[in-house]
Amino acid sequence: MDARLRRVNKEIKDCKSDEASNITVDLVGNSPFHLKGSFLGPEGTPYEGGHFQVDIVIPDSYPFQPVKMKFITKVYHPNVSSASGAICLDILKDAWSPVLTLKSTLISLQSLLCSPEPNDPQDAEVAKHYMTSRASFEETARYWTHIYAGGPGKSGMAKGGVDTKDEVAMAGLEKAHVDKFEALGFERSKVIDVLRRLNYRGANVAKLNDDRIVEELLK
Amino acid sequence: MSGSHSSPTQSQSLNDDINALSVDELDRLTQNVLDETASTRPLLGETSPLSVLREEYERGSATFLKQIDYLREKGYTHFRRTRGDGDCFYRSLAFVWVESLMVSPDKAFEASKALSLLESSLDSLEAAGFQKLVYEDFYDALANLVRQIASPAADGSTLTLSALLAAFQDPETSNSIVVFLRLLTSATIRVDEDNYAPFLFHPEIGEPIPPREFCENFVEACGKEADHVQITALTKALNFSIQVAYLDGHGNDGTVNFVEFQIAPPEEGSPPSPVLLYRPGHYDILEKH
Repeated sequence: MDARLRRVNKEIKDCKSDEASNITVDLVGNSPFHLKGSFLGPEGTPYEGGHFQVDIVIPDSYPFQPVKMKFITKVYHPNVSSASGAICLDILKDAWSPVLTLKSTLISLQSLLCSPEPNDPQDAEVAKHYMTSRASFEETARYWTHIYAGGPGKSGMAKGGVDTKDEVAMAGLEKAHVDKFEALGFERSKVIDVLRRLNYRGANVAKLNDDRIVEELLK
Repeated sequence: MSGSHSSPTQSQSLNDDINALSVDELDRLTQNVLDETASTRPLLGETSPLSVLREEYERGSATFLKQIDYLREKGYTHFRRTRGDGDCFYRSLAFVWVESLMVSPDKAFEASKALSLLESSLDSLEAAGFQKLVYEDFYDALANLVRQIASPAADGSTLTLSALLAAFQDPETSNSIVVFLRLLTSATIRVDEDNYAPFLFHPEIGEPIPPREFCENFVEACGKEADHVQITALTKALNFSIQVAYLDGHGNDGTVNFVEFQIAPPEEGSPPSPVLLYRPGHYDILEKH
């Protein structure tokens, strides 16, 4: 048996035998080199109560080269691409060590949810949101956890995305702001797109005058 | 001739570009160059005469040439290249360690001593918190090689120098051995952290760094070069003395500084410790034939 297979088999067994960590690793198809990992969102964060799935690909030269991981579950986080699920984390790149395992790497992803690194972002727009308006960022992240990861959301929300998605909340914007520019005759989805891109949140709102927004909307 | 006017400007602007780069960017540039040579060069090469190395510097630094001549005057005749992949220190050291066991007068005794040392080193790996499932394959790669020095393999052969070289050129075996030595180095620092802590600094920033962080980022991580602390820890863990010859272009007298990483005073009549040849950012093996 080759070294990669031997190691991966041991690691899968290790995850299965440890139920306390709530980390799971499952085969996607028949290959032991394409897996699906999952873990729970850390307590005391906007991801609490969510169940996050990660796509795992074991490269040929594993464990000498890092495992490839990306989120399957959509996550609102500065170090995770909100579009593709790509993750910016040093151990998945040049700080990789063969000491790390599927389990320890998934635990590192869980800790990444606790402690974002906005200065080394994967998603620049989300990072800006995080930096300018933390409370609004957390609300949005919690909303994404509710919609995509089965998190509880705000009290009164139905559990697990039964209610329809609120595009304004998804984008981390204020309804009043979106309504205001929509009233000028622009399409709602376009308004949301532009306000999100320009980070129209918190203290930043005062720095962006209406003409600037309209100019962007007219492009 | 038409190009003669533009080239100084071009090289000037190239210089400016290089000067404008941050340390990080320079590192990355160097790393790219290393990666390029890394992909073609064997992990550990055949031995070559020092004249080959000398030729490489003939159009370059006069200090390096003088230093190479100094090594030849000291009786060094050959060197063995390792790939410039950041693992070169560990790979060189592993090779000279196993080689020194093989060529010792009582190799069966030395090999069994080395095996029990490796076996007991697993205790420090456990103490440092490494999981067995992580280290056992890497351990086996090195232990199997050492075992073959005295105990014949299935085909009745014991380890030869060419089989040793082949093992170090095989990526899986070679890299497993490198990782095992990284873990052993890390464990040595972690279990004796009070003694090592005062010497641990971030290699780029130069600030003190906690042992655990140092080990995770600069010992256990693949491709991270070894410096004094790692060399000290590993030679101690293996109870193996080496010398490092610094071919670094420093000094005007053309001599080469040899630094001893000595575990115990050498016994009378024992052969001199193996020598690693350091050039900035890289280790090869220096030999006398």
